[in-house]
Amino acid sequence: MKHKSQLTNMHRLPIQIIITFLFVAFILNGCTALQEAQKRKEERLLAKRNVNRLMLAPSDASVDVDPNPSEGDPHGISDHYTLTFMEDILATDAFDDAPERETFALSSLGYMESLYDALYDIFGFKPEHKIHVKLHDIYRGTRLAATTTTITGSRFYRGGYIKTIKGIEMDFPKAMYDSPGTRVHELTHAFTNIYYLPTWFSEGIAVLMQSEYARDGSHPKFDNLERHLKLDLDGINLLESWGGHVNLQATPLSSWRYSYAYTVVSELRKRFGNDYYIKVFELMDEDQLHIKLEGNMPTSMVVYYLSKAAGEDLVPFFKKLQFKVSKLNKTDILQFIEQTKPPNQRKN
Amino acid sequence: MRTLKTFTNTNHKFPYSKYIKSAFNIKRLRSTILIISLLCLFLTSGCIISQQQSENYALMKGVTANDPVIIDGDLNTVGESQTKKSSGSLAIDAKITSESIVYLPEKKKIFQVKIHSSNIQDFQLMALNTLGEWDQIHEQRSTDSKIIDIRLKRPVTTSGIKVVVRKTSDDAARKRQNLRVDRENEETPDGRIRRGRLVYKVSGPLTAPGKIAEIELFGYADKTP
Repeated sequence: MKHKSQLTNMHRLPIQIIITFLFVAFILNGCTALQEAQKRKEERLLAKRNVNRLMLAPSDASVDVDPNPSEGDPHGISDHYTLTFMEDILATDAFDDAPERETFALSSLGYMESLYDALYDIFGFKPEHKIHVKLHDIYRGTRLAATTTTITGSRFYRGGYIKTIKGIEMDFPKAMYDSPGTRVHELTHAFTNIYYLPTWFSEGIAVLMQSEYARDGSHPKFDNLERHLKLDLDGINLLESWGGHVNLQATPLSSWRYSYAYTVVSELRKRFGNDYYIKVFELMDEDQLHIKLEGNMPTSMVVYYLSKAAGEDLVPFFKKLQFKVSKLNKTDILQFIEQTKPPNQRKN
Repeated sequence: MRTLKTFTNTNHKFPYSKYIKSAFNIKRLRSTILIISLLCLFLTSGCIISQQQSENYALMKGVTANDPVIIDGDLNTVGESQTKKSSGSLAIDAKITSESIVYLPEKKKIFQVKIHSSNIQDFQLMALNTLGEWDQIHEQRSTDSKIIDIRLKRPVTTSGIKVVVRKTSDDAARKRQNLRVDRENEETPDGRIRRGRLVYKVSGPLTAPGKIAEIELFGYADKTP
């Protein structure tokens, strides 16, 4: 009997071991399923938390700072920028000591390099030249306006002149530089100015980035494009006559122009998706027609690219908003470029 | 019976049979299974926790901040806490608090937060919860320390830490700079100036941002066997 009982126990043993392993496997399996569910939840949370803020990763770029440089040299140099403190800001309490200048230059170039990396990730292209940042206390009579200037030149290439970029300069009063939204706005200009865009489109894209990427509410969006339309005496949308920063003082018209241009580009982005403008810039880059133009791109040419990226004709949309546009194809643009050349450089 | 005989044959010299038999004793078996199960649970619980400090999580790859220089590992660079999205009204934005946020690429158990700041005096420390909301995990009403070392009473598992700056030692200077008191004088018909009421004119924020060189986040180090 004793032996029999032992044998019975012996037979139970593998079953018990199997049950134990099954139990452990069940727990482990449950944990895996739970972990996967938790992982999905965390991913949703990560996606949600990043929507409302401009969050940046530190940059690996090198930064060299000299708080007392020789005349004409910048106070800081990094991979993509130079930083110069202008005379008026050097006289202020915050910048009259070398350690203050050193800390500020190191920190601010670190921030700007991170922002550069982030915009490069978004646009997929970047300017070739270093961006020269000049920091003022008061710039052109105001503490409330910053500008980005792309200096262009031209060179002879394959039987014609093409435009080239010689440098990019950013001028910030310190009060504006403190705003991350303004930095995003101006850096967007530095990136997109390589396509010689008309002012309204360039500013629209910059405010779009400032408002929807950097979450800066400086320029409100209109709820209706037609209701807020403003026309000049010829009945043309007042965006078209926007020549840039001639006067930096804020006026009701300049405020309207920023908001209206932003509303137009935001409306198109809403219709055609978040990567819509990336496609537009890719098309411009593919053609390289912008470098053959005498000045900035005319609005009709921008609408040509916008339509191509959207896959539909956007001329009626712009005509409804009283833009002076006509439907173009590539041959029209090439003919236009040809006719702007001096007679001896034309092909025909 | 033959099988039984064979099995119980004392001449059978399986060297470990004695041990196996004793191990298969049902009482022992139960405790063996219990021990195995506990061991498995212990091992699969994920980690053997040691009380050693982890590396600074803020320096991990994929960490982001609203000012990246506060997580660059360099105490020579100084970032600033930032005000939330502006309301468009200077009166409302003038006294708005500012914040520094650090997002981790994954949840970490944090028990110590170090803030290197030259001017923060009054602040709240918040952690992002699983609903995407901020829970207060610490509050400090006054400090003059340049390195604020916070040991949390209870470790918090989170993927985001926020410092809400309520007062800095630079606020008074900022207020003097941006708040002006004027008198609204009026000119009477006979050309005299009548003294009017006092009017406060705000030309910018009345609170200064927190200057933060680094925010460091520490948990417990995982001990790898």
